[in-house]
Amino acid sequence: MRYALRRLGFFVLTLWAALTLNFLLPRLMPGNPALAMMSKFHGELNPKALVALETLFGLNSHQGLLSQYFGYLHQVVTGNFGTSLSQYPASVTSVIGSAIWWTVGLVGITTVLAFILGTGLGIVSAWRRGGKLDSVVPPVFVITSAIPYFWVAMVLVLVFGITLHWFPSQGGYYVTTDTPGFNLTFFQDVINHAFLPAMALLITTIGTWILTMRNTMITTLAEDYVRMARAKGLPGRRIMLNYAARNAILPNLVGFAMSLGFVVSGAILVEYVFNYPGVGYMLLQAVSGEDYPLMQGLFLLITVAVLLAILAADILTALLDPRTRTAR
Amino acid sequence: MAMPVSGVPTEAPAAQVPAGHALARVGRAVRSNRKATAGTILLVIFILIALFPGLIAHDSPTADAYPPHLGPSTAHLFGTNAYGQDLFAQVVWGTRNVLIIAFVVGLATTGIAVLIGVAAAYLGGAWDGTLGVLTDVLLVIPLFPLLIIIAAYAHGEGTIVLIMAITLTSWSYTARQLRSQALTLRNRDFLVAAKVRGERNLYVIVMEVIPTMTSLIVASFLTNALYAVLLASSLQFIGLGDPNTVSWGTTLYWAENNAALQTGEPLWAIAPGACIAALGAAFALLNYAFDEIGNPALRPVRRSKRVRST
Amino acid sequence: MRRLTRYGVILGAGLLAVGCSAGAGSSPGTSSASGKASTNSVLTISNENGALWTCGFNPLNTTYALLAVGFIYEPLVYVNPLQNGKTTPMLATSWSWGNGNKTLTFQIRQGVKWSDGTPMTAADVAYTFNLIKKYPALDLTGAWSVLSSVTATGNTVTMNFSTVAVPYFYYIADQTPIVPQHIWSTLSNPSTNPITNPVGTGPYLMSKCSPSNITYTANPHYWQPGLPKISKIQYPAYTSNTTANNDLANGSAQWGAQYIPAINTFYTSKSPDYHYWFPPTVNVSLVPNLTNPLLNNVKVRQAMSYAINRNKVSTIGESGYEPPANQTGIVTPTFSSSLDNSAVTSWGNGYDPAKATALLQSAGFHMGSDGIMANAAGQKLAFTVLNIGDYSDWVASVQVIQQELKAVGIQITPDNLSNTDFEADLFYGKYQLAYYDQQTFGPSAYYELNNWLNSANTAPVGKSAASNYERWSSPSTDALLNQYATTTDSATQQSILNQIQNVMVTEVPIIPVTEAVDWYQYDTGSFSGWPTSGNPYAQPSAYEFPDNEQVLLHLSPK
Repeated sequence: MRYALRRLGFFVLTLWAALTLNFLLPRLMPGNPALAMMSKFHGELNPKALVALETLFGLNSHQGLLSQYFGYLHQVVTGNFGTSLSQYPASVTSVIGSAIWWTVGLVGITTVLAFILGTGLGIVSAWRRGGKLDSVVPPVFVITSAIPYFWVAMVLVLVFGITLHWFPSQGGYYVTTDTPGFNLTFFQDVINHAFLPAMALLITTIGTWILTMRNTMITTLAEDYVRMARAKGLPGRRIMLNYAARNAILPNLVGFAMSLGFVVSGAILVEYVFNYPGVGYMLLQAVSGEDYPLMQGLFLLITVAVLLAILAADILTALLDPRTRTAR
Repeated sequence: MAMPVSGVPTEAPAAQVPAGHALARVGRAVRSNRKATAGTILLVIFILIALFPGLIAHDSPTADAYPPHLGPSTAHLFGTNAYGQDLFAQVVWGTRNVLIIAFVVGLATTGIAVLIGVAAAYLGGAWDGTLGVLTDVLLVIPLFPLLIIIAAYAHGEGTIVLIMAITLTSWSYTARQLRSQALTLRNRDFLVAAKVRGERNLYVIVMEVIPTMTSLIVASFLTNALYAVLLASSLQFIGLGDPNTVSWGTTLYWAENNAALQTGEPLWAIAPGACIAALGAAFALLNYAFDEIGNPALRPVRRSKRVRST
Repeated sequence: MRRLTRYGVILGAGLLAVGCSAGAGSSPGTSSASGKASTNSVLTISNENGALWTCGFNPLNTTYALLAVGFIYEPLVYVNPLQNGKTTPMLATSWSWGNGNKTLTFQIRQGVKWSDGTPMTAADVAYTFNLIKKYPALDLTGAWSVLSSVTATGNTVTMNFSTVAVPYFYYIADQTPIVPQHIWSTLSNPSTNPITNPVGTGPYLMSKCSPSNITYTANPHYWQPGLPKISKIQYPAYTSNTTANNDLANGSAQWGAQYIPAINTFYTSKSPDYHYWFPPTVNVSLVPNLTNPLLNNVKVRQAMSYAINRNKVSTIGESGYEPPANQTGIVTPTFSSSLDNSAVTSWGNGYDPAKATALLQSAGFHMGSDGIMANAAGQKLAFTVLNIGDYSDWVASVQVIQQELKAVGIQITPDNLSNTDFEADLFYGKYQLAYYDQQTFGPSAYYELNNWLNSANTAPVGKSAASNYERWSSPSTDALLNQYATTTDSATQQSILNQIQNVMVTEVPIIPVTEAVDWYQYDTGSFSGWPTSGNPYAQPSAYEFPDNEQVLLHLSPK
């Protein structure tokens, strides 16, 4: 219980740090970036949106920094993330809402798949040390884990999209003919468009899990209780799964949550290359459109998502492993 | 950008080893481990290319001197791009920018991580708590989106800003690792002996603790260099670097902008990407090899004929 | 363990099978299942706007005008900039100047109905103009800087001018969409209201709008009988150039407004029906800040102009899409009829590095050991040039210019900025050199040259200049330009343009490098009636309004 509270406290602290970063960054940069942008919109924004923007970027210069800060926090807490400038006059929340499910789908499914496949391969590879699988797996996946996400995406686009025409290489679905909804053609269309991006993410992220799992498995296999189990004459698969893997998976779980930050980064680049209409692609569009409220909103969203995943993994770890509850 | 491979903090070598011998040990280990050898060779190749680009590529990377859209030939190993620039020259000369980023960021980040990680472990108490929280918070905030935001506000000011931004945000993972290891060392005999001798804290940290952690520090440097390369080229690729610098990431940016894949110039995009992958692989292989060196359990099992005892 | 690998293989194969079947079912191939399958009387537009649609259709507000004018709203008269201002009456049937060109009278067409059935009258026209007067944020053309009153009586609209401004006919008659008084007068804030249910007189109605696509259907009560011939238009919101270009290449879209790299490989080679035409509109110029003491020296500017190989900038920087410009500032072939041959001859060879070096030397500069020319006082010809980092073709063009100027000893260093930063620095005069083009265009060369050279459009450094960024201020130039605005006689106009060209060639206030173009691709397999270089009846880009309406009215399905 205390452990959960402590983690929750850490969660709140990190959230606060992200909010403060969001607040400070535009003010720290030379030549307030917002000021130039405001003049562009002066005749066209309604007064409320103007005030919100000014609070966001500290252009109410008659207010002190601290009162600006509290004004900003108040805005955030009331769910007012401002108006998007590139999709004016849509609010930031509505714009993000249209993109978020694409990323959740793509990243969520790919991550789960990568975790399952990667952990499985890692376990097997460690169990058969020195075997054919083990001599191939580490070098291959060490290399794949160092390949930039966007390059894998580009290669897939080139080979499967452009040369072979097996899959579409752009977008989330065919916008002029399909209506989003619960119909079969839409689902088929979505899967069709999501296949290559998912493959790109899978190829680059799976390596980490395989190798981490393999390494922790190897260390676990050297433990005494595993040796005891072998001495007892238990079947190999049972030892591998119920004794070794079950304990080796714990550090992997923690790693899973932490690597989520990297998966998110990878998703941004993959979405960019495939023009996949998710949150990552939207962030890059916001950057090129100088849509600062949208950029900040997206950054907060991504941070919160990663934090929630880590919190979930932490709680899961605590539930599964009694040792972490008492250790520091 | 994948997570560093070791999920387990590696144990310090059992015996205390003075700094000079540690490096020699490292050297020997590199030579005997196949992955490390491969990684080293790759890295050395890239370093040579970065140091002497003019010897390898005879053309200027920026001059729009040739007919555009040429395919690979003996005159132009990778062909020319849409602007009539020799692609081979671009890739070769771009190596310098990439390696500078890799080494500068790698060193700076590792330096900060050593400072904070070891200080936190050694000073303990409130220092450890505060630094620990700072490290953990930065660890959890997704780095790439943060970098995107910083680079966006800085409006692509060039390599220096890129280096600074990446350094300031990337030290937390290795700081955590170093702190863990430093903690395990805190009560080792040789350190207690040093304190009993009356040596000051700073001396103990610099002359006793840090040399013992050499292999981990070197591994951290490699990890950080790898990240630096991937992060920097990713930022340049999406247009947040300075498009006029010659670097692999900016070449990819121009390739993407000119739809190189769709207009029959795939080498424009594939070649620099392959180089990033190769350099990244070099760092990753070396890193992995250091894991194995530091943690003997991970070393490849050598099948040797058992001598039957009779 | 063996069982596990078997499962793994099956899982992998299964995934691949699902993916492949989904892929094979609607494989894009060269013709997309999405586009060609639907009937060919549906026109799909490919215009990458960089953002999703916000489903607002207020034609007077720049945020929404792109989607509203031409499709749903119409102007009084269509003026074709590509045919020297040839006019086509739209909501006005005739017009005349009077009172020393200080009064402009329009006869409004009878029988035109708004899409909700209400008749359109002269009162709507007067209402539109007076609305713009009331909300200055809507006055994008600056019409009220010269108008004093707009009134309607019967079928006539009378406009009185405070200053004679004949060229403003284009802004008033062509660039002002007419809005319905009976709806807009009930709105509390017409200038910011997005107008989600637009009512206009134009050939199309907005039938469906989502952030990713807009569908227009033909207006059955449109005042031109039998038009429009195309019953449905799809206007997807493209956020990336590559996707928009891909849709053109695979036939999903038929009317493109895109910059396509290596257009022959990417697009025209895919089908004999695919064509493109890029009509030039304005000059993209190297803009010197004339308040800079070195750049104030006319010989330095002349030298720069001679040192630049415009052909190479056009071929390398702009992939040959943007033709080279000339120092007279007249865009060819669009305004070739206005070209003053004597000015061209006196200028001589456009690219002449020897002449550039001679000019610099005669101005007292000599080559330094670092390869940069310097004068006796040690001032070097080294400048920074502002550029918009997002426009990769401009970045590439400036790189070429950089190399060419270096060959004569002038060093320029590009400073690539974001759009907003660039405009801020340029408008306020905080730069040395910049690379830019005018944002507005008109039916004769006057419009662009007036923007660049009229001192009414400039401001001192530290204040925002409207369009004369280089701070050129010359009473004789002003006199010429102002005189042009008072006359409707084409001979007088041409004589004035000749003198302006002389100024451009001798004084070099700006250095035109290439000519910006309208981006335009079209598919003749599905539709006919497209504008072409042989038949330039309108500006052909989907983002040019109200020209897009003319294109839509000429198109018919095959």
